[in-house]
Amino acid sequence: MSDFFSIFHYQFFQHALAAAVLTSVIAAMVGTYIVSRKIVFIGGGITHASFGGIGLAYYMGLNPFAGAAVFGILTALGIEWISDKGKVREDSAIAILWSLGMAVGIIFVFMTPGYTPNLMSFLFGNILTVSLADIRVLLIYAILLILLFGIFYRPILYTAFDPEFARTKGIPVARYRYMMSVVMALAIVLSIRTVGIILVLSVFTIPQITAMLFTRNFFLVMPLAALWGITGSIAGILMAYMLDIPTSAAIIFFLTMQFLMFKGIILIRNSILRKSR
Amino acid sequence: MIVLLFDNHISMKEPLVHLESATTGYHASTVLRHVDFKVYPEDFIGIIGPNGGGKTTLIKLILGLQPLFSGKLHFPVGRPRMGYLPQASQVDRSFPITVKALVSSGMKTRKAWVPFLSASQKKRLERMLDEAGLTGYAARPIGELSGGQLQKALLCRALIDDPQLLILDEPNTHVDKQFEQELYHWLRQLNKNMAILLVSHDIGTISPMIKSIACVNETLHYHPSNQLSEEVLKVYNCPVDVIAHGPVPHRVLKSHDHE
Repeated sequence: MSDFFSIFHYQFFQHALAAAVLTSVIAAMVGTYIVSRKIVFIGGGITHASFGGIGLAYYMGLNPFAGAAVFGILTALGIEWISDKGKVREDSAIAILWSLGMAVGIIFVFMTPGYTPNLMSFLFGNILTVSLADIRVLLIYAILLILLFGIFYRPILYTAFDPEFARTKGIPVARYRYMMSVVMALAIVLSIRTVGIILVLSVFTIPQITAMLFTRNFFLVMPLAALWGITGSIAGILMAYMLDIPTSAAIIFFLTMQFLMFKGIILIRNSILRKSR
Repeated sequence: MIVLLFDNHISMKEPLVHLESATTGYHASTVLRHVDFKVYPEDFIGIIGPNGGGKTTLIKLILGLQPLFSGKLHFPVGRPRMGYLPQASQVDRSFPITVKALVSSGMKTRKAWVPFLSASQKKRLERMLDEAGLTGYAARPIGELSGGQLQKALLCRALIDDPQLLILDEPNTHVDKQFEQELYHWLRQLNKNMAILLVSHDIGTISPMIKSIACVNETLHYHPSNQLSEEVLKVYNCPVDVIAHGPVPHRVLKSHDHE
C-alpha cells in the first residue's frame, strides 16, 4: 500500500493530477455549453481540424499548439458563420472541415523530415508528460473561463437557449456566439494536451451528461460536471498507473463507467419507487 | 360605462408599428410582397393564413428578426417594447434551463452582463410566476412542465418586460382546452394595456376575442372586424381553413386570385 501512495510524491504524477483537475474544470464549463446547445459534432469538427494546424506548425518548426489554436479558432468561427448564414448544409460543412483538417495534418507531418516523436501524444494525449508551463496555461485559462461565465452568464445562457428571443431583447447574439466559438476552440485545443485529439470530446460530454442526471439547471450542471470530470480522470490516471495502460483511454473508461453506474442507480431507484407506489 | 368607453376603439392617431410596402423572404424566394400593415396601441389582431403563407415571417419582420428586401418598417412613436412568444416547436425542452431563468430572460437590462437580478427584478419575477401559478415550479427545469405550463412560462417571459406590443405565434398548439380558455381570458385582460398580434391557424377559436383580422398569404389583407364569414373570405380572397368549434363544424376553403 505504501508503494501505491509513493506515486503521489513524484512530480510528474502531481503534474498529471493538476492537469486532470484543470482540464476537468475547463471542459465542464465549455462542455455544458456544447451539450446544452447540442453541438457536440461542431466540437468534433474543431478538434480534428486543429490537427491540420499541428501538422503545419511541425512542418514550419513552430509550436504545434499555436498551430492547433489557429486552425481550431478559424474552424469554429467558420462553422458559426456557416450556420449563421445558413447557405451551406451545416453538418456537411463540419464533416468537410473535420476530414480536411486531418488530411492537412497528415500531409504536413509526412513531409516533415526526420522523426516526429510526439505525433502519438497528439492523437492520444499524454497527461504524464505535462509540464509546469502547460499547467500554468491551463490554470490561466480556467480562471479566465470562470470570470467569463461569471460575468456573462445570463447572455451566454440566453443566446444558447433561444437566440431569436435573445435578439428581440437587444442582446448582440452574433457577438456572443462568435465569442463562444473562440472560447470553445481554445478549450478543446488546450485539452488535446491531456487527452488527445481522438478522445478529447469525451471530457466535454460524458461528465456533463452525468451531471444532467442530477440537475437540469445550467448553472449547477457546470460545477457538478467538473466534479465528475475530476473523479473520473483521477481514477483513470490511477488505473493507468496500476495496469500500465494509456492514461487517456483509462480516463474515458472511468468517465463512462461513472455515467453508467449513476444511470443504473437512478433506473433501479425509479423502478423501486414505482413498485412501492 | 366609462370603462366601456375606454375599451372601445379609441384609436390613437399614431400607430406603434407601420410597415410600408414591405417585401421580404429567404434567399431567393419572396415570402411577403408589398405588405402594408399598421398596428395601433389598442389593437388585437388575429393573423391568419395558410402554412407557408408568411404569418411567422410577418411577425419576425416586426420583431426585427427578419431583414427587409424592400419597403419600410417605421416605429412612429419609437420602437415599442415587444413581448414575443415563439412557436412551441422553436423551444428546446431538453435544454437545462429552469423556469425562473427562462422567465428572467425576458427582462431587458441595459447591462445584460450583470450576472444577478436586482431586488426589484426579483420581486417582479416572483409576482409574475405567482400570477401564472408557477411559483412551485420556479426551480424546475422546463422539461418537467406540461405543454400548458410551458406556454404559461413562455407567456411570462414575454410579459415580464411590460410590453406595449405582445406578439404570439400559435400559442394554442400542444395545450389542453382548459389552458386555451385561460389564455384567452388573460389576453382579453392584457389587451387593455397593450396591443396584441396573435398568429393562429385556427381562426374558429380565436375569432370571438380578436378585434380585427389580417390574412397573410404572400400579400396581406386587413379586415377591420372579427366577423370572418364565408362572404368575407370571398371578398378578401383568403385561403384559410375555417373550422368552427360549434356543434357542427364547417370548413371553407378559398384561394387567392393573384393580380
